[in-house]
Amino acid sequence: MKQNIRVALAGNPNSGKTTLFNALTGSHHKVGNYPGVTVEKKEGSRLYKETTFHFVDLPGIYSLTAYSIDEVVARDFLLHERPDVVVDVMDSTNLERHLYLCLQFQELGIPVVGALNMTDEAEEKGIKINKAFLEKVLGIPMVQTVGPRGKGMEELLELILHVYQHQDLPKKYIVYGSEIEQRLEPLQHLIESDATFAKTYPSRWLAVKLLEKDSRAFEVVKEHPKAQEILSFLQESVVWLEKHYGKDLEIVISEQRYGYIHGAIKEAVAIQKKNDFSLTEAIDRIVMHPLLSLPIFVGVLWAIFQLTFTLGEYPMAWLETFFTWLSEVVHGALPNGLLQSLVVDGIIGGVGGVLSFVPLIVILFFFLSLLEDIGYMSRAAFATDKFLHFFGLHGQSIFPMMLGFGCSVPAIMAARTLKSPRDRILTVLVIPFISCGAKLPVHVLLAAAFFPENPAAMVMLVYAIGVVLSLVAAWVLNHTVLKGDPTPFVMELPPYRLPTLRGILWHVWDKTWQYAKKAGTVILAASILIWALLKFPSYEMSPMEQEHLQADYLSLHAEASEEELAAYISAREAEAALEHSFAGRFGKFIEPVFRPLGFDWKIAVSMVTGFAAKEVVVSTLGILYGVGEEATEESEGLRQALQQDPAWNPLVAFVLMLFVLVIPPCFAAQATIQAELGWKWWAFSVVSLLLFGWLLGFAVYQGGLLLGLGI
Amino acid sequence: MFLSDAPPGASFRVIRVLLGKEVGKRLADMGFTEGAEGAVIRSGFMRGPLQVRIRGYDVLIRRCEAAGVEVEPIGDWSAAEDAHRLFAGFGPFGRRVGGPHGRRRRWEHGGRRHPETFCEDDEGEKSK
Repeated sequence: MKQNIRVALAGNPNSGKTTLFNALTGSHHKVGNYPGVTVEKKEGSRLYKETTFHFVDLPGIYSLTAYSIDEVVARDFLLHERPDVVVDVMDSTNLERHLYLCLQFQELGIPVVGALNMTDEAEEKGIKINKAFLEKVLGIPMVQTVGPRGKGMEELLELILHVYQHQDLPKKYIVYGSEIEQRLEPLQHLIESDATFAKTYPSRWLAVKLLEKDSRAFEVVKEHPKAQEILSFLQESVVWLEKHYGKDLEIVISEQRYGYIHGAIKEAVAIQKKNDFSLTEAIDRIVMHPLLSLPIFVGVLWAIFQLTFTLGEYPMAWLETFFTWLSEVVHGALPNGLLQSLVVDGIIGGVGGVLSFVPLIVILFFFLSLLEDIGYMSRAAFATDKFLHFFGLHGQSIFPMMLGFGCSVPAIMAARTLKSPRDRILTVLVIPFISCGAKLPVHVLLAAAFFPENPAAMVMLVYAIGVVLSLVAAWVLNHTVLKGDPTPFVMELPPYRLPTLRGILWHVWDKTWQYAKKAGTVILAASILIWALLKFPSYEMSPMEQEHLQADYLSLHAEASEEELAAYISAREAEAALEHSFAGRFGKFIEPVFRPLGFDWKIAVSMVTGFAAKEVVVSTLGILYGVGEEATEESEGLRQALQQDPAWNPLVAFVLMLFVLVIPPCFAAQATIQAELGWKWWAFSVVSLLLFGWLLGFAVYQGGLLLGLGI
Repeated sequence: MFLSDAPPGASFRVIRVLLGKEVGKRLADMGFTEGAEGAVIRSGFMRGPLQVRIRGYDVLIRRCEAAGVEVEPIGDWSAAEDAHRLFAGFGPFGRRVGGPHGRRRRWEHGGRRHPETFCEDDEGEKSK
């Protein structure tokens, strides 16, 4: 008999749900989003005994309230998609709290199977679970599993099948005590009085949620034909019950649940040996030490940077060589002309420039994912919360902000882990200040050209300014646009876990892919656009001008060879063509805006292209200064050309570094901001960053002039 | 007394959660319900978040939220605090210490305030 069973995989965070999902479905994943929200949805399937099991991995949650977006998503999925079976993955070492969620699934009226995961750890800790007893008391069939080793998977599938085929068995629910039950019953009857309504919403669940004063449940029940009656009865019940218990009803319900679980656990779970030494505790004594935690965090951050840049140098160099080689090959293969120029200068130059950062980003993400999977990130939140909270940020903002050093795109996406919209918006808005990998070549070029005594310190200074600005911006936003109650900081501190290589590689792949995908689409389009702006309208030097130039050059360099002369002429020609192009004209047009910052039209052009992607600032300057398009931050020619141009001086260079740091992030990151926060916040971000960048540049340049710098 | 007053090493029993609405419900969901027993493991730098062990797992909770959980001490808190001060030696950095009786004074003043105002006052800036 062929059949399909739709199974939702649910559970608390840190229950090993994802590992179990992988063990169940192998590598056949489909990753998407839940409709309308940016919560990741993973799906996979498994064929077992001629039955196809479709698994959906729900986000990890603690309860079925409407507290976080994850909970709302999980809840809506269960209510509206109505999977055939819910598998609740529970940590056997911590059943008490994990059963809390399990009982709420049971209330939804969907058949529940409990997966007692991590049984190996429980055994090590001497925790003995009387499964049969627990099943009987709670009315939830269970199976013992070990996710990483795939133990218990067949039994789990078997149990799902069994539960699916015996759905009509009487269901068991948690009992909340006679006072509450007396009011739940009539409430349930009222809800069931409308047949279509009762079909969509399990009446007992909805009744409990109403007593819990769940805001979403109120909205739902307003649609009911007898809404008035329900609400007035509810009002009466809540008042009576709160008076009876002397506290908020939603708290009473939580207490009843825990009480029920506590009773069951007492009988079913025996802890045989008290284990008084744990590795986690030993490590935390140092890592979470009140005085040491922050320095350790800073040290970890610093070590990651050192490692990333040291290790990343080699593959970056290989990729650069590869793209140079590729452009040479293509250059030879295609006939001279527009197409060749488009492919070599536009596409390979633009996208290649972006892709050569991939190794840096891969390595950075590898280390950050490692920290995340070990469980260090909640320690980092602990260490930094006090500090970040002062600026209005949340301890959990630290991970997205750290990713921002690599690439803003995954950083902005990582802000999804923040529970409250306010925190998420705030974190996303300040991420652009964190200097991303693409801004690095600009800093390196300018620091090397104008601060030759100590370029590394200069680059570090700019990074530090970025961090300070992000904090200041957070503080300002927190006191103006994003005023609001401080978001609570209540989070689980999971024990350290040995990460699996597979898990880390998955994270790295996932984040890098987000970056590469943008490089392939947005940056490709931007590269072509910039190329076109720089190329058109086409321009050719008249023979007369050429002769003029030739004469000029020979009068200065009488000994010049034929080749040097040709190089000089073509460089001048490229420069003139650029001045003549749309980009050049636009640069001239917009120059007055940049004048107060000390920028001439050439810098203005590079800023216009830099608006699309910071990587292209260096290559645009390369074209503008006639040293060719293959200019990199390392190239001697561009450095010298900049040093010799009277429009440049250390002050201008510093202002430019600040300006690049602050202006809106690349198109890819902007697109991500738009996707995560919507058009309104995207516009706010772009406009405010532009304004602020200009004002900062203006203040620093004019201030510098007043102090007599840069003349 | 409130959870925010508990020194590292102190054990407590929850009396009730005073914070209303979502946060209170959240804390109850996380296991802070009447009669639940727990212990404060450690406290962050400069009165940073608390690490609290309750119902067999660890939670990080900002003092601001911890101030909304009314608890009764199990055992002697002052002994725990003295031991902590002796070994961890971070006392001078916390606001709580203002001389030998600073701790007690804080309980008398801070303890009776309504938790919501405690939260804002702790920030120092939003109270105006």
